[in-house]
Amino acid sequence: MEFWKNISSVVKRELRIWARRPIYFLGTVAVMAFCTVFYLSFLRDGVPSDVPIAVVDMDGSSTSRNFCRQLDATQLGKVVHYDDFTSAREAMQGGKVTSVCVIPEGFNRDLQSRRQPQISFYVNGLYFLGGSLAWKDLLTMVNLCSGAVQREVMRMQGVPDSQMYGLLRPVDVDVHQIGNATMNYGAYLANMMIPGMLQMVIIIVLVYSLGAELKYGTSRHLLDVAGGDVFTAVMGKLALYTLLFTLISWTEVIILYKWMHFPLAGSLGTMLLAGFLLVLASESVAVLIIGCVPVCRFALSIGALYSVLGLSLTGFTLPVEAMPAGLRGLTYMYPLRHYYEIYVNVDVTGHVLALLLFCFLPFLVMRRLEHAYRYLDYARN
Amino acid sequence: MRGTDNYLKRWLRDTLGIFNTELRNILHDGGVMIIFIAAGFFYPILYNFVYKNGILEDTPIAVVDNADCSDSRRMIREMDATREIDIACKCVSMEEARELFDQRKVNGIIYFPSDFGDAIARSQTATFSIYADMSSFLYYKNLLMGAEFVMLHEINDIKMERYSLENPVVYEDINPYNRAFSYSIFLISAILMLIIQQVMFYGMSMSVGTMREENRSFASLPDSYTGHGVGRVVIGRGAVYWLIFMIIGIYVTCIVPAMFRFPQRGNYWEILILLSLFVTVCVFFCMSWSTLVTRRESAFLLFLFMSPVCLFLTGFSWPVSAFPAFWKYFSYLFPSTFGCQAFINMNTAGAELGIIAPQLRALCVQGVVYFVLACVAVYVENFALKHKIDILSV
Repeated sequence: MEFWKNISSVVKRELRIWARRPIYFLGTVAVMAFCTVFYLSFLRDGVPSDVPIAVVDMDGSSTSRNFCRQLDATQLGKVVHYDDFTSAREAMQGGKVTSVCVIPEGFNRDLQSRRQPQISFYVNGLYFLGGSLAWKDLLTMVNLCSGAVQREVMRMQGVPDSQMYGLLRPVDVDVHQIGNATMNYGAYLANMMIPGMLQMVIIIVLVYSLGAELKYGTSRHLLDVAGGDVFTAVMGKLALYTLLFTLISWTEVIILYKWMHFPLAGSLGTMLLAGFLLVLASESVAVLIIGCVPVCRFALSIGALYSVLGLSLTGFTLPVEAMPAGLRGLTYMYPLRHYYEIYVNVDVTGHVLALLLFCFLPFLVMRRLEHAYRYLDYARN
Repeated sequence: MRGTDNYLKRWLRDTLGIFNTELRNILHDGGVMIIFIAAGFFYPILYNFVYKNGILEDTPIAVVDNADCSDSRRMIREMDATREIDIACKCVSMEEARELFDQRKVNGIIYFPSDFGDAIARSQTATFSIYADMSSFLYYKNLLMGAEFVMLHEINDIKMERYSLENPVVYEDINPYNRAFSYSIFLISAILMLIIQQVMFYGMSMSVGTMREENRSFASLPDSYTGHGVGRVVIGRGAVYWLIFMIIGIYVTCIVPAMFRFPQRGNYWEILILLSLFVTVCVFFCMSWSTLVTRRESAFLLFLFMSPVCLFLTGFSWPVSAFPAFWKYFSYLFPSTFGCQAFINMNTAGAELGIIAPQLRALCVQGVVYFVLACVAVYVENFALKHKIDILSV
């Protein structure tokens, strides 16, 4: 009974702190709201369309002009004409266009006389998405161009149209994108960026909240309110934060999978569970950090370093197997990594258990934190 | 004449005084120094280490070959030989392959239907299917590229064999700046400049927050010059950060790429010009925004999430041409938007100063605007101090 009374007084104390310092509201709810709006609206198109492609048409024949028109008509590409290669190349170096396509002089003439004219395209791979999409678009169009010419030749040879496709395209591929059928880049990124930001916010805010007690010398008051027990004090604080962050996390899950209808391999229930566990695990990491380094600003710097790197180490952009061997194991130090594995629906039970294991971390540092809170025995500067 | 002389002398003396005070403050502040050194010097190395390999090779793929003909077998062998694909398993049924896929032992499936060989023999279109794991786009890219290369090659072979129909148009594709679409080259190029801006912002906010906590003000003018010394404070303080970040900047933009054997196609002096302009703008940018910080730690709580946001706003991944209008204008707020673009174009794509003129112009405009804002901030702060108005109480 006593325990619950103490917990509730810690919660009330924490609520008073929230009311006094708007930073807690700004740092959690406002930041997450901004991030959600940003990632969902910034990438709302899913796949970029009308990527600028520079075309240097040195032929100017009806065939080359037709090629340009067709390239322009694709969903991915938008043709920008340049007079000479140098200015097109400079535009590509300046990032104005993603690629340069050069149609050589005498293109039409060589085509008609079967001398195999060569179309060259230069792609700027430094702007990854734009560059690779332009490359794909150009490759498709050049192959289609070849096909169109061959079709004309065959027509003249008297091949009936009904047999034409089999001759022109003896082999074809049928592509299925499992898990993101529309190739929605927004869904792909937002799915992990938003929980990633949540992990960051939880760690930073909680480290600050626990560290601020030390910094402003209020830790003894906190212990008094909690009946002298550091476990009760931390539990009381965590209870309130868990409630707030779980609400945020579930809201995000519902926005992503119910409202935006982003693809989901598992069930919504699993994701809600994963969202809750992500909150618990991240909180545990925060307690571990402040427990190991009970100095508010050092702990914050460590928390920031840890959580910013977490976005890369989750492996949803560059997969973990492409990282140096020494780092692969370290990726499992991040709750977000397990959340990602649960999202892609691999060994859900194992990763749920792993996230639960994180929850034991705070017990390792409870004594140290108690000492710091009670005797304020840590380096000041 | 003597009046002007005195004014100039005084101006210089005051500025130098502020410069000294600020430098001493920073050097004595362990927290700020840790941010500058740990983040400024180790972050670039850390990121380079994570993305060291940059290229995903030999993605494990399962094959279900129901056709079992010489054509499908040859194609499978050829796909296995590509850099992108590693045929990890040959499965007897789609169920078996799917199980492996679900356990993520393979990241894709290639399926040849039983009529594949017959269709080729009958001169009809023979279709095979690929099923790609979309949990990372690189898996998809590898499977698609590997399969398409082999398919295009096969198509040409068949056409050549049957009716000696060679491709009427040939092509060459050249990817001059990032030959293998390496993930690290494109990402690190964008991150390096961003690190400068973000580290400076967190460091300066920390120092401003500390002063505020200790009831000092970052904006205090020399006592003898109340009301007229705004420029002195801004320039004096700014010069300290400028100096520190030129050192960090040269390390980040010139030494780090050399350490990790990154492409360095730009001219050293031209990169230095870009860097000094960028650092100048960053100083005024950080001075303007750090005014809002009232406590030492609040910058982390309120602005840490902006780092990835700023990264996306540089247009390094999602192309600028596809930005929604609002975010496009929003991105103009940050020096990193133009600084990163200019650095990518210059250092990695080998552009000259003339080519990145639009970005340099934008940086200049930002510099002027943020200088004025920084002055206004100092003026307002002084006004508030003098009239004992508490503007910010977050």
